[in-house]
Amino acid sequence: MHELSMADGILKAVLENAQKNEVTEVLEVTIQIGKMALLNPKQVKFMLGVLSEDTIANKAKFIIEEIPIEIQCLECGFEGKVDVDDLDHYAPMVECPKCENKRISIINGKDCTVKSIVVEKDD
Amino acid sequence: MHKVSEIEVQHNIMKANKKLADKNKKKLEENDVFGIDFVGAIGSGKTSLIEELIQNMDGSIGVIAGDVISKFDAGRFKKYDVPVVGLNTGKECHLDAHLVEHALNDISLVDVDYLFIENVGNLICPVDFDLGSHMRIVVVSVSEGDDTVEKHPFIFQSADLIIINKVDIANAVGADENKMATDAKKINPDVKIIKTSLKEGKGLDEIISAIEKFKIIIS
Ligand SMILES: Nc1nc2c(ncn2[C@@H]2O[C@H](COP(=O)(O)OP(=O)(O)OP(=O)(O)O)[C@@H](O)[C@H]2O)c(=O)[nH]1
Ligand SMILES: [Mg+2]
Ligand SMILES: [Zn+2]
Ligand SMILES: [Zn+2]
Ligand SMILES: [Zn+2]
Repeated sequence: MHELSMADGILKAVLENAQKNEVTEVLEVTIQIGKMALLNPKQVKFMLGVLSEDTIANKAKFIIEEIPIEIQCLECGFEGKVDVDDLDHYAPMVECPKCENKRISIINGKDCTVKSIVVEKDD
Repeated sequence: MHKVSEIEVQHNIMKANKKLADKNKKKLEENDVFGIDFVGAIGSGKTSLIEELIQNMDGSIGVIAGDVISKFDAGRFKKYDVPVVGLNTGKECHLDAHLVEHALNDISLVDVDYLFIENVGNLICPVDFDLGSHMRIVVVSVSEGDDTVEKHPFIFQSADLIIINKVDIANAVGADENKMATDAKKINPDVKIIKTSLKEGKGLDEIISAIEKFKIIIS
């Protein structure tokens, strides 16, 4: 859903860190995206490619690692990972795998984190 | 010579937003302002509700209006002579704390008791983006269909008050407002659910007292 604004936030974090470290070029960016973050990794990559065009990250390879969803069921108390291979980003619904209830809280899988960058610097 | 190296960044976008939201909240509190985030489906009646509250609530109100295309909603608020900041959200599907941080600079917080923030019409994206407000009101209407609530559990889970609007046309659109209220109660058993017709002024007093009560409870 919000690939554009997230890609913008990701790139800003990358460029800020690059600047702080006096980097001349960003070669690689590793991003972790939770499966519940409502982001389509392919679209995020595409947006990053477009947004980075006039920056020192214009040749960077963007690597996306997907983080599984972990929930706590508010009905039966189940805690753990849930499989959602075909999560609909327009109407995300996750239910407890044990009791099928939808009253759950998401413990993990919502975040979007810029993990690390590989860069080139002048000596 | 060039040297290649790896830098740990560990920048979590959601946490960064939360941090900014906390900053916004602090700023509101320093000025004794109670902030409310209005979210809901497109066309469910967010602007109508805010218009009614401006006219009927005690205390002075300022508004931040997030609007996708242009500053339509901001224009609707301006005629009530209250401070309004229009945010052109462009392609954004939700407001975030950074956008609100900027808007807060354009509003004289010492002059208002309440700050109303109209979010972008969307039941999915705003869920996890805290803006720094004290209360979230979720507005849906029967015209979105009476399965809307059960289809979007997370936004209703995040609500402090749930409004089911346009009950005057429930029959015409073949929707059961009581089913919507029951679904909402299942998802979020602790919050107040109010069925309204803003068109007919039905339920408005109940909303106002719910807001005032919530304000007292959390402050
Ligand atoms: N029948 C009926 N119509 C209503 C009611 N409340 C609002 N409307 C109408 O619904 C339409 C949309 O209302 P808005 O208040 O603009 O809705 P909104 O949620 O702010 O819409 P966006 O900002 O575009 O997402 C307007 O034409 C309102 O007059 C109601 O209780 N009953
Ligand atoms: Mg509106
Ligand atoms: Zn979105
Ligand atoms: Zn369960
Ligand atoms: Zn800024």
